[in-house]
Amino acid sequence: MTGAGEVGARGGGVSGWPEIELAVELELPGLRLGLELITRSPSIALVGSSGAGKTTVLRILAGLETRARGRVRFDSELWQSPGRASTPPWARGVGWVPQHDLLFPHLTVRDNLAFAGADAEALAEVSAAMGLTPLLDRRPRKLSGGERQRVALGRALVAEPRLLLLDEPYSALDRSLRTGIQDWVRDWAARNRVPMVLVTHDDRDVRALAGETWELRGGVLAPLA
Amino acid sequence: MGDQFINVAEPRSRVTNLNVTRTELIHTPRLLRVGSSILEVVLVAALGSAFVFSAMAPLGAQEEERGETRVLRVFAASSLGTGLPAALEPWARESGTTLEYVFDASSRLAPQVAAGAPADVLVTADRAWMEWARERGAILGEGALVARNSLVLIGEAGPTSSSRADPMEAESWPSGRILLAGENVPAGRYATEALRAAGHWEALEGRVLRGGSARGVLESVARGAVPLGIVYRSDTVADERTRVVLEFPDSLHEPIEYFAAVVATTEHPDLAAELVATMGRSGVREALTSYGFGVWTGGTGLPAGGGPVAQPVLPDPRRAITLSLVVAFAATLAALPFAILLGWILARLEFPGRSLLAMVVLTPLVLPPVVTGFLLLSLLGSGSPLGRFLSGLGLDIPFTLLGAVLAAAIVGIPLYVAAIRGAFESVDPHLEEVAWTLGVRPHRTFLRVTLPLAAPGIAAGAILAFARALGEFGATVVLAGNLEGETRTIALAVYTLLEAPGGRSAIWVLVGASLLLSGGALLGYEVLNRRQRNRLEVRR
Repeated sequence: MTGAGEVGARGGGVSGWPEIELAVELELPGLRLGLELITRSPSIALVGSSGAGKTTVLRILAGLETRARGRVRFDSELWQSPGRASTPPWARGVGWVPQHDLLFPHLTVRDNLAFAGADAEALAEVSAAMGLTPLLDRRPRKLSGGERQRVALGRALVAEPRLLLLDEPYSALDRSLRTGIQDWVRDWAARNRVPMVLVTHDDRDVRALAGETWELRGGVLAPLA
Repeated sequence: MGDQFINVAEPRSRVTNLNVTRTELIHTPRLLRVGSSILEVVLVAALGSAFVFSAMAPLGAQEEERGETRVLRVFAASSLGTGLPAALEPWARESGTTLEYVFDASSRLAPQVAAGAPADVLVTADRAWMEWARERGAILGEGALVARNSLVLIGEAGPTSSSRADPMEAESWPSGRILLAGENVPAGRYATEALRAAGHWEALEGRVLRGGSARGVLESVARGAVPLGIVYRSDTVADERTRVVLEFPDSLHEPIEYFAAVVATTEHPDLAAELVATMGRSGVREALTSYGFGVWTGGTGLPAGGGPVAQPVLPDPRRAITLSLVVAFAATLAALPFAILLGWILARLEFPGRSLLAMVVLTPLVLPPVVTGFLLLSLLGSGSPLGRFLSGLGLDIPFTLLGAVLAAAIVGIPLYVAAIRGAFESVDPHLEEVAWTLGVRPHRTFLRVTLPLAAPGIAAGAILAFARALGEFGATVVLAGNLEGETRTIALAVYTLLEAPGGRSAIWVLVGASLLLSGGALLGYEVLNRRQRNRLEVRR
């Protein structure tokens, strides 16, 4: 059962998962996007060359790109629509893991993870899974790149989002941890019925996901077989 | 379990999603640099023009002499400003002498003359300063009595200007604060004496304010900065902006007498002596009488050693230091919320009037502080609706501690805002965006992310503003006056001591305190600035 989008590229999907609809236009200096996408897939891998605007797609979904015009829908919720106020980022419940981890430098790992106000149980579970338990009292500047990336990932998960927006979340992880964390995040998302949109350059990431792959090229989204 | 795969080449530029504000990261240092380079230019220009001026002044004088025009420079009490030139004009014409006048408070002129200022004749508004100059060998002879004056209480001219109050009944006087000339200025001393002798001092002390010269008092009352003032009767002649509320009987104070003397360093002793002698003749006397000066009954010279020489009142350095700290702390604290708000607006918001706002905020940095003080006085004096409104709320700003705090705060705002704006701009706006996506609303994000991250920079800005407040002089002296224990901060105390005889040691105490405080503040600024940079650095 798919949504009733007349226009745009249409992906498949798995019933029981929320439907994501995107029909927006955005013109920035050096970047012109006309995005159309409807899908009910548990995961979307977003690929494309550097500078194609992949990160911008995530920002549009997060509600951070206020210059975008058009329609953004998450299942039954219309997040953005012409002629009415958009749902602000803090009311969308997205878990955004930006490409540059963007940890709060003045807070410890624990306070970064709990920034959204999570309960102790969720925090303990996520930090164990991410291998962060021994680092909880450290500050971001004392962490390696991979550690910081895991904190950023954990911070998004602890907030219990309804949609995960991951911008190259595994790029700094070393091989020994990467697969484990990838699997754990996928299982977590499946357990909680949280779809994820993942920007990546890495085929391993694409293969690790069971969902769809979309390519952003020339400002347009197209599903890859 | 460390992660050996450290991502070294993490690119810092975000190609497509650069928020516009990011491009302005360089803005604030530049702003500060512009500020300091403006200061440098001003300083160099001031030094340069002072040099040129001092080099040219004697040159000009010599040339005039070759042209057979004789020039005498007369340093005279400011209350003589209108009367004396008119009274001496006939003599000047007859003798072919050009008279150049410098009018100022006697307390400023006598020390200048004693320090070798290029004067030929000195005219003081009291015996004490002439005696003081004589003791230092600054004048020839004893000084001749040339005029008398009396004191009046003045108020703003208004519809109820007909009735006169009784000098002995303070209850019959109009209400409101009373501005007196400075305590070392003769007019201020006579006024204090008169209020004491009439038995009003105790009752009125809380209402009494101190300013500079008697002329300054007149101007303040005329502009409505204060409702009442005590000036010389001669000041009020031909002034329609004020009215005489009452005249003080001469018996209430030491006679107000003007003395003239030839300055010891003059190059024209004979001509100068002739001028002094002329001042005692009837033509000049009558002319001065028409300007409101008292009837003169024939001069004796300055009685040798006779008459009480008033002891100058010296500012208390410890009080000045304490007051400076109080004013600077209060100004820094009071301006903090505004500085944070303005700094944040300039760092984060894009709107059409932004450049204008940035300019307005910067204005007190480039405006002469005296001008800033004047604008504030015009805006907040009891002559303005806003001033009257605030006064109704019990907030009297001109000539109060509150005024000193306000002046210091306004003058400190440009540095304050520039530093805080820089601190906010150094916080990556993407961090705020992350906080939003985590469900934290903007105002909570500001409190939990932006503000803590900018805190060291904000503290550095506060220290800068504090240091600026410590040094504030121009706006304070105009808006808040120079009131011992109330608005006389370090800078004002030094200035007052410069014109008070015997104040040198106290000046050095204040100079030491200034150096210490400013040095400490700048050190704190450096430390906090470094901490701000470290704070945002994730990896070192």
